[in-house]
This record gives sequence, C-alpha cells and structure tokens, in this order.
Amino acid sequence: MNILIVEDESRIAKRIERMTRAIYGNTLQSLKHINTLHEALSFIENNSLDLVLLDLNLNGDNGFDLLTTAVSGSFHTIIISAYKEQAITAFEYGVLDFVPKPFNKERLEQAFNRIIKKEKVIINTVKFLAVKKRNRVQLISVKDILYIKGAGAYTELFLSDGKKELHDKSLEKLEQLLAKSFERIHKSYLVKMSEVKEIIIKSGSKYIAELNNGTAIPIGRTKYKDIKTKWF
Amino acid sequence: MNLRPVSNFLFLCLILLVTSCSQKPVFKEYNTVAKIGDQKEWAAKNWNDSNWSKSKPRLIGGEVYWSRTPIDILKAPEPLHPYAIRPYIYGEYEVYWDGVLIGKNGNPGQEETLNPEGEMLATFIIPPDLTEKGQHMLAIRTSVYHFPDHVGMKVDIANYDDLLTKRLIETSYMHIFAGAFLIASIYFLFLFLGNKKEYRMLIFSICCFLFFILNLAEFITTYTPIHYMHHRIRLEIIGALMFGISFLIPLYFSLQFPYPKRKIILILYAVILLFTFFVKHDFFNFTYRNMALSMWVFSLGIVIFGVYRKIKGAGLILLTLLLSMLVTFVTRFSIGIIVSFSIILLGMFYLLSLRIKEQRLAYETSLVQSTRLRLELLKKNIQPHFLMNTLTSLIDWIEEAPKKGVLFIEALAKEFDIFNQIENKTMIPVAQEIELCRRHLEIMKYRKEINYFWQEENIDMEQKIPPGILHTLLENGITHSLPLEDNSIKFKLAYEANNDYKCYTFLTFATCARQEITSREDGTGLKYIKARLTESYHEYWDFTSKPVHHGWKNTIKIYA
Repeated sequence: MNILIVEDESRIAKRIERMTRAIYGNTLQSLKHINTLHEALSFIENNSLDLVLLDLNLNGDNGFDLLTTAVSGSFHTIIISAYKEQAITAFEYGVLDFVPKPFNKERLEQAFNRIIKKEKVIINTVKFLAVKKRNRVQLISVKDILYIKGAGAYTELFLSDGKKELHDKSLEKLEQLLAKSFERIHKSYLVKMSEVKEIIIKSGSKYIAELNNGTAIPIGRTKYKDIKTKWF
Repeated sequence: MNLRPVSNFLFLCLILLVTSCSQKPVFKEYNTVAKIGDQKEWAAKNWNDSNWSKSKPRLIGGEVYWSRTPIDILKAPEPLHPYAIRPYIYGEYEVYWDGVLIGKNGNPGQEETLNPEGEMLATFIIPPDLTEKGQHMLAIRTSVYHFPDHVGMKVDIANYDDLLTKRLIETSYMHIFAGAFLIASIYFLFLFLGNKKEYRMLIFSICCFLFFILNLAEFITTYTPIHYMHHRIRLEIIGALMFGISFLIPLYFSLQFPYPKRKIILILYAVILLFTFFVKHDFFNFTYRNMALSMWVFSLGIVIFGVYRKIKGAGLILLTLLLSMLVTFVTRFSIGIIVSFSIILLGMFYLLSLRIKEQRLAYETSLVQSTRLRLELLKKNIQPHFLMNTLTSLIDWIEEAPKKGVLFIEALAKEFDIFNQIENKTMIPVAQEIELCRRHLEIMKYRKEINYFWQEENIDMEQKIPPGILHTLLENGITHSLPLEDNSIKFKLAYEANNDYKCYTFLTFATCARQEITSREDGTGLKYIKARLTESYHEYWDFTSKPVHHGWKNTIKIYA
C-alpha cells in the first residue's frame, strides 16, 4: 500500500500515521505526510498511490479543490475532517469513507477495511465521477452513465448521450463506490441495473443484457445466478 | 406621512381666510397734508391748507406739526356701531375730527417736560353725530421728540368693533402657532439632551424657540401698551430674531443636505447676512425682508442641490420653500413672514421625523448586529474546525503523553475562561485580549507542534478594544502560515498613539502558506473584525491586512 496523508495539524497527522502503520503493518510500502494543498496536488500527480487520507480544511483553503482532483485519481480517497456536514457532499463526489474528527483507531480501521476487504459503499450515493481532462477535472453525473467497461487499469464510462469518457479508477474500485445502483454483470462490465431492459438467453448458455438504448452486454456465466436472484 | 403637505395647505387656507376678509369700503380717504407749527385753528374743517406740504415734515425733535386728511364718509354708521380711527403714528398726538378734539395719546409738544405717555396703537371713537354722510376733516396734532426722523401719517378708519377685534383675532391665531412651536422647541431640546450628537435637533429646537419669541414680539402691541419711545427695542428684538432664524434654517438644511465646501459657504452666508443686518439697519422692514430673502434664496440653493443628489425629503422641502414664497407674496409682510417660517419649520419637522425613523431602524439593525457579533465570538469556541481538531489532538496527547495532555486541557480551560468573561462585552482591556491570544497560542502549540512566539511592543494595557479582533488576526496568522526553518512562527503586536489616532500593528513572521497570495477580503474573520470596529468606532477606523516579505502585516487605526 502507498498512502498519502494530507493534514495540516501536525499532532493529528502523527496520530493518523501511527494508526495507519499499526493497521497495515508489513503491507505498507510507503506513507507520506503533506501539510499544504499545493504540495499535495503535485505529489498526487507525480506518484502512484493506493489511498489518500484527506483533511478538507487546509490552512484556510477549501479542500474540495483537492477533493475533485483526488477522486479523479486511480486511488481511493478517505476524508478525515472536523466538518461532519461536508460528509454528504464528499460521498457524492465519490470518496470511499468519511471519518469525522475526533476519531479513534477502531473508526480508522473500519474505513481501511473498506479497502482491505473490498467492502461496498451502499449507504451513500455517489452523484459524480471525476474525470481527468487536459488541465482540469470534469465531473460526470452518475445519472448519465449507462455502463462502465474495464480497460486494463482504466475504465471507460459510456454515457447516455453516446459519449465515452476515460476514468483512472479500476473497475473494482468503481464497483465499490457505485454498488447501490450498478452491478458487475461481467468481468469487464459494470452496468446500471435501471438501464437493463431484458436479459436474453442465447444458445450455449450465453446470457446477454439488453439496455434500453439497444446495447447488448454479455453477462458472465458465474454472475448470472446472483443477478437473477438479486434483481429479477 | 403623505397627509402632511395636505394639512399644511389646509392650514394655510385657513390663515388666508382669516386675514383677508374685507368689507365694502364706507370711507374715502384723500391725501394727507402736513405743516410744522402749532395753531389751534388748524383743526378746523374748512381751514385753507392748500399751501401745506404733501410730504412728511422734516423735524428736529420736540416741535409740533399738524397733519390734515380729508375723508368722505360714504355711508353713515349703524346706530350703536360707531366708526373709529387708529393712527399709525410715532409720537404723542391729539386727534381732531371736524375741528372737535376726539382723543389724545400723550401730550404733544410737552414731551420734553412731561413723562412719556400714550401707546403705540390707540383707537378713538368718532362721535356718531359727526359721521353723517359727506365730507369730513381729520386733523392730528403730533410731536415726535424721540425719533424725529420717523414721521408717520397713516391712519386706519373702520367700524370701532372691527378695528378692535380684527387684530385680536389675528393675534390669537398667530399665538396658536407660537404655542405649538414653543412645545416643539421644548420637545426637541429634550430629544437633543437625550442624544447630544444630534445637532440638527438642537438647531431645530432653537429655531422653534426664536420663532416663538418672534411671534410674541410681532403681535405684542395688540395687548400690551408700548410707548413709541420703547418701540425701537421691539424692532431690534425682531431684527435679532430674524437674523438668528435666517442663519439657523440654512444651517439646518446644510446638515440635512450636505454639499461640498460647506464651512466656507456657510461663513460666506453669515457674512452676507451680517451685512444685510447692519446696512440700513434703521429701516427695519427693509432689513427683515432682505434677511428673509437671503435665507430663502440660500436655503433654496441647498435644497435644490439636495434634490439633485436625490436626498430623501429634499423634494418636499423644495415644495415648502416655494409655498412659503407664495405666502409672502399674497399676505401682509408681518403675517407672511410668520406663516412662511411656519411652513419651513413644518418641513424641517418632517425631515426630523424621517431622521428619527432612520435612527430607530439603525438602532434595530445595530441590536441585531451586536447579537450576531456576540454569537460569532461565542462560535469561535465551538466551531468544528477549532473544537474537533483540538479534541482530536487532545485525545492523542492523553493517549500518548498523559501529563502533557493535562497541560493541554489546562490551556484550553484558560482560553474558555477568558472567552466566558468577554463574551457579552463590546470593549475589553487590551491586556485581556493579549492574554486570550497567549492562551490560544499555547493550545495551538500542542496541536500543531510549532514553536509560537508572542511579542509586544509599547502596549498601553489600559486601552480598550473590541473583543476577539486580535484573536481573529492571530487565528488567521496561524491558519495561513507555515513555520520558518527553525519550526517557529512569531507574532508581534505593536502600539502607537498620537493626538490623531491610535494604531495597533499585528505582524506575523512566517512562511506564507499560499503559493499565490489571494485577497482575504471575503474571509469571515476579517468581516468580524470590521463589524466590531464599526460597532465601537463607527466610521472612525481604518484596517489594512497585507502580505509583507516576513509574512503578514495587519494595522488597525482608530481615529480620535
């Protein structure tokens, strides 16, 4: 695991660091602490990370600027903040968890477990996926996404207007965030279930999900049973 | 409020109605002729006066002169309602009608030897048997010992009852005005005493009082006998009152409708008014008129500028000024001046009522504002950023180093204690504010593990300042700064004072946290500081906050 802590309170940063080391133990490859927004942005850009622990209020700056950049990255983001009222917005942007201050080791562990055990976020709804464009980050509304296709380390978002966007997060990570309305129906596909019109069974035990716009997406043989019991 | 102009107008109509009722004339008065000298025969109806002078006689003082006025009676009086004569003459005199002595006002020709006798306004009944239809002769034997250059030859002839009552009615109406303005004067004086900054109320109060005296002085002759010798005193008093009012009304408008170079223009106006007052000073009516005119023209200028600047109430005042001019044109001067002053004063009254309303609204807003600021100060303690971060650090200290954790709690307790003491104050001693800052730094030391230093220079601990403003600057300094290479941030508070202002300079020695320095203009912290300064010093303060090479510099200037 490569973890970045962005926190401007030295004592709290040390606490997070200590607890993180304790929880991850040997699996921790690197742990970095940064206390300014600017440095954090350039670190995120130039380093490969698995997790960012982010405080939303840094030296009076609004952490949401950093948040949109962070959530567009390939890594998961966990917010550790004093402002509980920002939790809903943070979840809408697609953070994995929101740990309110003051926190203890148990609460932090619970957040980390979402990564370790790949728990799905089903309580809160993600409203946007942040997509990296040439000099900026664009927020794509989850409402507009029909399905997502895995493409190696990246994913492709297929939108209702026919456009296609590239996202840095893996299909696994997005599956975790979008668990409430999307279903992994195939090794390479994550589909919004409300868009599925019908399931067609073809000869040779081939299952196809047909979407409202006519797109046909294969359903994994192993997944079919689960999907049927869960959704139909 | 909109009814005020209407009621003004109705009142004005009433006044005009009362003062202008005239009847069909029953007399015809011919030109008066006069001659210096003294012969009993000159009283006779048929004396040949063709060689007498038609102009006023030039007297040296004390000598007797006669004036003769032929009068045609067009209609004989009704029984029991005799005609009467009222001469408007300076001096002591005897009145003859068709050669018969019908009345005496003092002792003409003997003024030097006898005590002053008689009054300004004397009325003499013409015997009914001498008032048959046809030609008659009024002869008056006068001496003007005291003011020989003030020869008057005007007489008023009318029904005796009318002559007596008309002026009384007029006077009673005018005195109703006077009473109203006396009460207004006292009321606004009390208002001023309640708030000594409101000079407008004082000016208005003085205006009303001067107006009250002016009114009394103008009509006092109706019911108080004054010998002509003392009449000058009355005229001088009226002149002085007119001068006062003529200066104060434009002064009031100047405060209400400000314009550039006010002081110089007002001084200039005072000089013009003084010139008007002293030039041809003995021609009282001339002086009164000129002063009233200067006042009116100057006020009109100010008010027109006010209308141009769209100041509230200026339009209505312009209307009252125009109305007052109209009144002086259509009525006798002595009444016109009173009525038009009344109209202008009513306009000022209206402006003051606007002012009082404004003050009430401002007061209500300030109450809300004060409560809001108090809450904001309280919130500093419980806002999540401060409280939750502090608690998180605190938990960590207790878990890792309990003894230091206890010190941390103590520091926190001290800061809370000071907050409790200052929470409902609008001003606190600077010493207390500094103590608050020191406690805050102690807390932050535990949280941020940065070495914070506090330095003071030249502080006058007795001075008072609004609570939480230095604390807010300190918070901003902590939040927006990164420590220097030796892991320290230094804060320095310096104070200087002179006759014009007191100045606090708050310096932060640190590395600025932001790469690009953006204006912190909109931060809630700075808004709080500005609102507190306004609450305590109105507009007499100045606040700057800017980056400097060593970190940040804030200055708070409070003007004397």
